[in-house]
Order: sequence, then C-alpha cells, then structure tokens
Amino acid sequence: MKAMVIGAGEVGMNVAKTLSADGQEVTLVEVDSAMCEQASVELDAFVVEGNGASPVLLRELGAAEYSLVAAVTTIDEVNITAALAAHQLGAGTTIARVRDPDLLGRDEAFARSILGIDFVIDPDRAAARDIAAALKLPGAVSVEFFGDGQLALAELIVTESSPLIGRPLAERERPHPAFIVGLTRDGVAQLTRPDMVPQPGDHLLVTCPTECVRAAVAFLAGTVSEVRRCMIFGGGKIGMALARHMEDAGINVAILERDPGRARKLAERLPKTQVIIDDGMAEASLLEAGADKADAFVACAGDDRMNLLAALNGKRIGADLCIATVSREEFTPLVDAIGLDAAFSPRLIAAEQILRFVHTRSVKAIHLTRTGFEALELEVNPRAPIVGKSVGETGGLLHHCRVGAILHEEGVSIPQKGTPISVGDRLLLLGPVGTVSTVESAFVGSP
Amino acid sequence: MKTPLGWVPPLVSLTLGGTLLAAGLGMLACAVVGYVDARAGFPFAVSGLVTLAIAAVLVSDSRSRISDMNVGPVTGLAAVTVAWVVASAAGAVPMILAGTFGSYLDAFFEAVSGFTTTGATLIGDIESQPDSVLAWRSLSQWLGGIGIIVLVVAVAPISGPGIQRAFYAETSGMTSDRLTPRIIDTAKIITLIYLVLTTAAALAYLIAGMNPFDAVNHSMTTIATGGFSTKNLSIGAFDSNAIEIVAIAFMALGGVNFAFYWKAIRRREARPQLNEVVVYLVLLVTVSCAVAVSLALSDGASGITGLVIDPLFAVTTVMTTTGYTTADFDDWNSFARSTILLTMFIGACAGSTAGGIKVIRVMLLGRSAIQELQRQVRPRVVQVLRIGRHVYKEEVRRAVLGFFLVYLLLFGVGILLMAASGLDLVSAISGASATLNMIGPGLGEIGAGENYEAMPDLARATSCFLMIAGRLEVFTVVALLTAIVDRTRDALKRA
Repeated sequence: MKAMVIGAGEVGMNVAKTLSADGQEVTLVEVDSAMCEQASVELDAFVVEGNGASPVLLRELGAAEYSLVAAVTTIDEVNITAALAAHQLGAGTTIARVRDPDLLGRDEAFARSILGIDFVIDPDRAAARDIAAALKLPGAVSVEFFGDGQLALAELIVTESSPLIGRPLAERERPHPAFIVGLTRDGVAQLTRPDMVPQPGDHLLVTCPTECVRAAVAFLAGTVSEVRRCMIFGGGKIGMALARHMEDAGINVAILERDPGRARKLAERLPKTQVIIDDGMAEASLLEAGADKADAFVACAGDDRMNLLAALNGKRIGADLCIATVSREEFTPLVDAIGLDAAFSPRLIAAEQILRFVHTRSVKAIHLTRTGFEALELEVNPRAPIVGKSVGETGGLLHHCRVGAILHEEGVSIPQKGTPISVGDRLLLLGPVGTVSTVESAFVGSP
Repeated sequence: MKTPLGWVPPLVSLTLGGTLLAAGLGMLACAVVGYVDARAGFPFAVSGLVTLAIAAVLVSDSRSRISDMNVGPVTGLAAVTVAWVVASAAGAVPMILAGTFGSYLDAFFEAVSGFTTTGATLIGDIESQPDSVLAWRSLSQWLGGIGIIVLVVAVAPISGPGIQRAFYAETSGMTSDRLTPRIIDTAKIITLIYLVLTTAAALAYLIAGMNPFDAVNHSMTTIATGGFSTKNLSIGAFDSNAIEIVAIAFMALGGVNFAFYWKAIRRREARPQLNEVVVYLVLLVTVSCAVAVSLALSDGASGITGLVIDPLFAVTTVMTTTGYTTADFDDWNSFARSTILLTMFIGACAGSTAGGIKVIRVMLLGRSAIQELQRQVRPRVVQVLRIGRHVYKEEVRRAVLGFFLVYLLLFGVGILLMAASGLDLVSAISGASATLNMIGPGLGEIGAGENYEAMPDLARATSCFLMIAGRLEVFTVVALLTAIVDRTRDALKRA
C-alpha cells in the first residue's frame, strides 16, 4: 500500500516513520530542503522536496495511486489545500491536520465534505483531551478508552500506600476486575509476569471495564486525591483546549502565558479560567500564581525544553501531579529522569490517529504509550486464523503480545488462561511498538 | 461652488437643516391644533414657515457641497450639538409669540427641556395654556426622544457620508447597534418601533380613561421618557390607578434599548442587550421594593396605592428619566429621597430614549471597580471586561470610565453654578442631577410638586447646558467646545 505524508515536521516525521515501520510504501513531501535532507537520512521512504499543496506536484507524484494522503504540516490551509487537491486527483483516504477549530466550524462533517477531506486530525486537541481524561481520573497519569468506551487502559503510579507493594503480583488482592498488563520501572517497559513485585514509583498499565476504572485505579495506586485545582503552563492550542475541558469539569484552572496578547485572548475565551501573564520560570511568580496549591501542573507550551523546566519547577514547588507535553523523541527519556509523573506527545497521538486509518477493518483502535507499548483493539473476523484458539494457546499467532481484555457482546471480561476466542470478539492486545503489522493477519478472515 | 454659507461645514448645514425641517413641520402641525382650538394658531404657522424656509436654504446649501461632507469625528459630534441648540432656539420662538413666556431665556429653557426630553417646566399654570403650546411641548419631546436626526434620516432623503457620525452622536449608549447595513434602514426600523410604541401608549391611555388630546400628548412624552404633561399635577391630576399603571408600563418600555426590540422580533442574537434589559428590570423592581419598605416603616404608607403603585411609579419615572409625578416624593423620608436621587444617575438602557449614565455603563463601572480591587491582590492576572458571555474591549472600559469622570465633572460644575445662583444645597444638587440626567422634577425648591420657577436665571442657563450635555452624552458637547476653542486659538494666532 502506498501512503503519502505531506510535511516533515515532528508530526510528519513520526507518522512517516510509523507508517514505514508498519510496512507501507511511504512518500514524504516537504518544502524545506534542509528538512528533506534530514528526513531522507532518517527514514526508509521516498522524500520529495516541494510544496505538497501544489496540484501539479501531486499529479506528477501520481496521487491517484496512493491509498492514503496525510497532510500534516503546521499550516492548516496548506493541509486543507493538499487534501482537497489529492481528493480531486483520485487519491484514496485523505487526512488533513487542522489545528484551528474555527476553520471547520460547528458542522465538521459538512466542512469536510466540501473540502474533500475524509478525516481531520488535530493532535493538539487530542492531546488536550487525553490529558483532561487523565486529570479527571484520580490516581491515573493517562487513560485511553477502547471498545466504544467500555474498556479503559489506564497508566498509574504506585504510591507507598498501595496494597501492591511488597508481594508478587500473583498474590495481590483482587476487589476489582482489573488486569495489570505492563510495568515500567526506571523507563524500562515490560509485560508483567506473576512473580513481579511492584515498588513505589513504578508505572503500571492496567486494563479494566470503564465502569469500575475509578475504583480500581484508586485502589491499586494507593491514596489518591481528586484534581480540584489545575495549573497550566503555556496557553497555546493544547493549553486552551485543556483549560476548556477543565472548566467543563468544574475544576479550578489557571493558565500561565507569557505573551500578553495571547493571554488576553485566552481570558476572553475562557470565562472561568484565571489567566496570568508570566513565563512560569521564576519560583516567586509560580508561588504567587498558586502553583504550590495546585493538584496538577501541566506544562504544554510549544517548546519541549520549556515544558520540562516548568514542570520540574512545578514539581519542586509542590504540585502533586506534574505532566508535560513532549514532542521531540530525544527528550522522552528525560521525563522519567527528572521524575515527572507523565508526558504526552502530540507527535505520538498524531501517529496513532493516522495509523487507525491505514489498517484493515479488523483494527479498531491503536494507542501508543510513551513508554513504548502499542495497544491494539482487534476484531476477530469469521474464518480468521485466531478463531477457535484460546488465550495462552494461540500457537504463536499473537507472538509476544498479551491479551489485556476481551470485549464480547455482553461486555468486557478479563481473560484467563484458556478463555476461548470466538468470531465477533474484540481483543485488546498489548505489545511492543510495531505489533500491529505482525498480528493483524491473524484476525483477518482468509478469502 | 461658492455659497454665502461657505464658512459653515457642510455637515453642520445638513444636520442643522434636517433638524429645523423636523422642527418646522412639527410647528405647522401644532398650528393646525391651534386653529382647531381657536387659540395661538398663528404664532406656530409663522414660526413653522420661517423655520422651514431656513431649513430649505441649509439643506440645499449642503447638497451643493456634498463632496466636502467627509469630516473628522469632532465636526460630526459638534454638528449635532449645534443642531440641537439651534433647534431649541427655534422651538422657543412660537412660545414667545404665543405669549407663554415673557423672557426669551425662559422660552429657550422650555424648548431645551422639551427636545432633550427632560420635562422641567417654567410654566406655572399649564392648564391655562392654549392647546397648541401644550401640543408643541409634547411634540418637541417626541422628536427629541429617539433623536431628531434619526427621525429625519428615516423619512427625508437626507444622507451623506458624514451623516452616520451625526446619527451615532445622537443615539444614546456606548455601542452603535447597527441593525442593517444601511444607516437609513436602521433609522427606519428604530422610527417604526418608536411609532408602534407611541400608538400603543396612546390607545392604552384612551382605554384607561384619558380624553384623546391628553392621551396623544401623554403617549408622546411617555415613550420619549420626557415628562411634560398637559396637567399642572402631571399624571397625578388624573388620580387613576389604571392610568398610572399604563404610564409605568410604557415608561419602562421606553427605557429599553430599541435595538433589543428589533433583535427580539427578528430572533437575532441579542445577548449583550438582553443582559442589560434584565438588570434594568431587576433594578427597577428592587429599588421600588426598597423604597416601598422604607415608606411602610417610616412614613406609614399603606394600601396598594401607597405601597406598590406610588413607589413603583416614582422609581420608574426617575430611572427612565421621564419625570412624571404622582405622589410628591419630596415629602418622603430621607432614605427614599436619597434613593430617588441616586437612581437618577443610573438611568435606563443604552439605545433607549432615557438619559442618565445608562444601566450597561453602570454594570461595566461596577465590574471595573471589582477588577481593580482584585488587581491589588493578583497584579498579573489578565482581566477581561465581561458581562455574561459578552466580552468588551479595553477601549470600552476606557471610554466608560472617561464618560463617568466627565459626567461627574459636569455634575460638580452644575452644582456649583446652581448654588452660586442662590439655590439651597438640596435644590442645587437635585437640580443639577435632574437636568443632567434629563429627569425634570428634583427635590427641595424644584421638587415634584413645584416647577423650575424658583430657579434664578443663572441656574436656568446652567440647566440648559446640562440638559443638552446630558442628552447628547457629554462627549458630543465637549467636542463642540473643543472645536470652538481650537478655532478661536487659530484665529488669535493668525491675528
């Protein structure tokens, strides 16, 4: 399958990389020659220098042969024009990254149909939604939902008062139907084994039916408190969208924004948010803004370095939960090194969103965790090789993946060894990044 | 083309011509009333014809120079002030000719009080006046209520690039509520709403028991929130609860933003106006309740009339800056009187026929005050001037604060001049307030039961200035003064 990615920024590079690792034939179009050079070194892809919004260039590249065109530059108008041109030239699925929600207005479906865009992705808005979901779930640092919202995959930090500490996982109390699938210690992520002994500070990846995820996460993490006051560093797209989520959830929210003009705009748009003009770097000003009393400190400015510094500052001053958005891959290890509770990457989120469109119908959802897990929701099609097998005895079809949960018609169940897998089931699989391309075939019906 | 009026800015001749056109037609209408009544028809016929002749000269002059019409904001504002002063000067003439007044200053005062919808009068025995004079007083208020230029633009083919400035200078309020792309259509809509309300008021008064002449006169002065009456005792003369309730209802309606009516009819987004209207009505009721409670406790008021209608009427008449009277609120306890005095300043909604600071400005001032206090605690928090979900720009905050300061300044100067003329303190304060806010009756020597005859000439002249400044919302008058000072300085330099 051929896929075209337009724009070689953080998002574009990662999408291209992910698609390429996924086994696609990737063409990357970028207008900046230095970035093209960089990309052709890093990527196993065909890199073209030029303006991806140009219909002439797209025709030369044979846009009609591409089953996917993803326009993900930082400029909305370029992305929209590119998607429209590709659509007109007969490309398959068109995806445009649109950051300004006003462009599509209230009727997104209508705007998309006029513009020939099949899917709109907005990593910033998605990042804000993900952070908001985590903040609204006490004890969790991130949470993703699968199976139309029935199943939650939550990441939590084990505290000193957690009942898990000091004994192997196999012997833990189980008041809730939750399954601990992954454990990350010192930045190293691995699937759990029954003999593992959790320690304070470990990050656990837990699957659980959505209706009891609050209780399960609170129980596993130990003492947790609800987020009532949230401080956001950086009033960009993510900060603004996050503040709106917080306002809607009735959480007290303050934004630190350096630029007075932007700060004014934020204050106009967010009636319940306190907007403070500040660069968030000086301890005195953070204290004045009340960062020490905040339950959560989220650094989501445009610059990764600033975010890491600000979040570190917030942590030191005494904010309970410190989260940063980190786009650049090379900074990811720092998040654990400086002891932040969680990091969100718009880059990963964009890749996730696009991967969903690339795969066959059996792949319902993909989630990439920061620590390097890939979570997949896969549907078992009739006559697929996996039909009739059971959990733990798949004959190598699932490689090294873990079945985290099974969604039947009657709801979510936590799999035991020997649980049968039948047609129509949806499996939540966890494995290292790239899993999807190796296990996908087991779920597709043979022709 | 050189014309004898070449020294007058064409926008001034246009607005002035248009205003005099309206005034002249109004006088002719009153002449008809006069001939029917067989008293004082001739003075109105003569004044009307002369006024129309002058208007015709001015309008044709401005049409010949229409290309120079583009003017700066100062000229636009100044033109309106000039038009209003000259219209009042012309409006005084028939009242002199009819023998109502002996002094021109008094006739001018009465005309200014009419056009600005103040409702302060120097006539001792109103009922002895010929019908034409009474009709002219009412009609002048009706013309001035929504704005003479608005009316002229709505019906006459007078337009030009500069007329918008004049239009907005004359309409009250801080935001120009443009309802349609073309200013003429906006003027037509506002005039239509004005006519409908006036007709409704006239019918309601008829049904409540007034004779047709009184009903028409009172309907005009009610919707214009003017306050001139055909009776010595104002609305109180009818001694009818039904008539008082009609008056309360239509005064309150006249105090609502006219743009709001249009938006409500067309089901358009009117949230900012709606906020103001809601606060306005809540204030009206709350203040009335407070006055009623104080009357019950301290003055022993009782019954529906004493506890509901009297306080509601007094508060409505003052807050909408109408100035009708029923009960003499000068006899009330000092809490009630102070409340009445303060309510004068609030006024009704922006874009209505009422005077005063206007509810929306008061709301914004209150919000600004709270924000200034908060700024002391958290100096770096961004503060947005917001009413409900509507965000006001920082320029609006500055404009409102500036307006308020100049308003207070004028009030202070007004008090000093009134006191200098020999009025006692309460009369001086309430007199400055009642004229600047376009109410009419004040307290003390010029109280609800009296008229302005107790005022010395200096105070009468001061009142004229305050009434026009209040009606044209201060800056318009300030603009004229600035223009005059600038011209004089230039002339002195050249000489």
